[in-house]
Amino acid sequence: MIAASARTRSHTRLAAIAARLSPARLSVPTFLAAWVFFVILPLLVIVVFSFFQVRSYRLVYELSFDTWQSLIESGRWMIALRTLRVAVTMTVIELLLAFPFALWLAKGCRSKSAKAVIITLLTIPFFLDAASRIIIWRAILGTNGMINTALMASGLVDQPVSWLLYSEFAVHFGMLGTSFPTMVFPIFIIISLIDDSYLAASDDLGASPVQTLIYVTLPMALPGILAGIIFTFVPLMAAYIEPQLLGGGFVDLLGNSVDSALQQLRYPMAAALSTVVVALLGLCLTAFTLLTRNRLDLSTIFSTLRQ
Amino acid sequence: MAFSATTYAERATGRSAESQPEVAAEPLAGADAAGSPILEVIDATHVYDGIVALDNVTVTAAAGEFLTILGESGSGKTTLLRLISGLEKPYRIGALRLGGVDVSSVPAFQRNCTTVFQHYALFPHMTVGENVEYGLKVRGVKPSARRGRALEALRLVRLDEKYDRRIHQLSGGERQRVALARALVPRPAILLLDEPIGALDEKLRVDMQVELKEIHMRLGMTFVYITHSQEEALTMSDRIILMSRGRIVQEGPPAEIFDHPANRFVASFMGVEHLLDAELLAIEGAMATCRVGPATLVGKWSGTERPAAGAEVVVGVRAERLHLADEAPEGVNMLPCRLGSAIYKGKYLDRTADAAIGDLKIRLWDSHHTSENEAIAWWKHQDCMVMSA
Repeated sequence: MIAASARTRSHTRLAAIAARLSPARLSVPTFLAAWVFFVILPLLVIVVFSFFQVRSYRLVYELSFDTWQSLIESGRWMIALRTLRVAVTMTVIELLLAFPFALWLAKGCRSKSAKAVIITLLTIPFFLDAASRIIIWRAILGTNGMINTALMASGLVDQPVSWLLYSEFAVHFGMLGTSFPTMVFPIFIIISLIDDSYLAASDDLGASPVQTLIYVTLPMALPGILAGIIFTFVPLMAAYIEPQLLGGGFVDLLGNSVDSALQQLRYPMAAALSTVVVALLGLCLTAFTLLTRNRLDLSTIFSTLRQ
Repeated sequence: MAFSATTYAERATGRSAESQPEVAAEPLAGADAAGSPILEVIDATHVYDGIVALDNVTVTAAAGEFLTILGESGSGKTTLLRLISGLEKPYRIGALRLGGVDVSSVPAFQRNCTTVFQHYALFPHMTVGENVEYGLKVRGVKPSARRGRALEALRLVRLDEKYDRRIHQLSGGERQRVALARALVPRPAILLLDEPIGALDEKLRVDMQVELKEIHMRLGMTFVYITHSQEEALTMSDRIILMSRGRIVQEGPPAEIFDHPANRFVASFMGVEHLLDAELLAIEGAMATCRVGPATLVGKWSGTERPAAGAEVVVGVRAERLHLADEAPEGVNMLPCRLGSAIYKGKYLDRTADAAIGDLKIRLWDSHHTSENEAIAWWKHQDCMVMSA
């Protein structure tokens, strides 16, 4: 009797262990382990690096707050604020441009071939090197560039417009094309998924086109809008090519500051600036999630998109 | 229930000025106060990608009528509905009048009719109550008044307790009724129903047929109902319009379409089992005599125009009107036949028989019948339909 029950107990314990080791149960821990190794660990190393020092081009593994102190005293923390401002401005601009465009592409554009061509054109920023794409603007926006030459020739101005290049305007302008597709695609996909019958029902029940947009299209497109904002905002926080090539040293953002610190072999400074980028991103995304959490139940919105 | 019925009925006639000011302000010439059709579609033609979906169709509906547009998929019935609601702009149209006012250039959201969509199209991001109130919200009705009217409509479909539920928590039948309530709340002059119960299972479909008919009678609203099911059309409608390939094939009350199909297509759509090619020998009064193979059959003429003798016609008879006997009575159509297999269907028995003019299916309600091999199949002249080919 006793032996039999003991055997059953050990048998059930083995079964419990086997169940715990099943692929379904292992998938989450595996993902977490991989994520910690590939994402969290390098981040931690970066944070730790910011507390080391460089003496005569050699890294000295001695803890100190010198890097952080100089970061604050030299006023470089202003770079973080400027980066945040530029990234937020550009995200807002892109959203305002991309939403109507995505709406038209998904629901207004009747020609299938035109749609295919536009989608292909939108991927161009992804397969052309960013630096070679952006440096072209120098030839267009510069004091001897196309625009100024045209303006001078037409007699509209008698001196070249200088703020066109090597200015915040130029940096914003350069970011416009790069960040547009990342905002358009998620919104385009989600609006394409909205069944036409919802829009027809709204129309049929007496809603004007604007009311349909506000009460039906926008709420149903919200997951795509949120994805677009995240995919656009995050790379903008780390942008370095546009400030480097079009800022002309007048527009320092976190991205190009990290880049120049690395080129000067000031690894702790690069690490400290990177830490600031990551910390700011973490803060922004947390705030964003908290703001939208109550208005949006992602799981139910996605589950009801398919009818 | 009586109170809700009066408020809806009042709107259904299009007399109140609140949501359709154009109707009250500007009655057109020819729209008499009494007896004028509430819906007139005159000479509508529509083309999709070079395919003619509607070919010069004219449809009218009287106020309070339950009009069913019956047809297979691709017959143009849904296109016709979308033209009425304004969701589709016609390629060419003579006139489209709602309550006597031409609305052919009025956008859908300003037309005084609403639709119950085939898959309901209930907004997934809103609750039941928000869905039902939507038509009032976009008209600027205050939230408190909205709630009252939404609850009233939900009570009509016995769902007022589900006001706060979300759409995905409802069953198919409940969704269908919420869609109905949502379409009724703005008190349209015409309610358009696009195969509204097609997606429900058999039992629920039968229940909903009864319920829809009751709601129609209680509200006195004009219903334009789209379906491909002859059974639904026969049970609910005041009048049926049968469509095929963008044209109207026949229209009339259910009994007329059922008993007097004008041609082979209508008869086969209405489920007439036996349709035989025949040659017309003579036509006298209502009765036509024709030859089918070696047999001479007499039946009622139910085609549109009366052809001359010698014309090709079709003779139709339903399986349940055929009788089996050893000897036929006087003055009937009869065919000697050899009995074949029997299929037990519960309520009745389907017996096949081999006659000189082809196979017959005979529906027998009393199963103790003659089981001999040779028999006579007979049916009354009144039960025999002769129609255009």
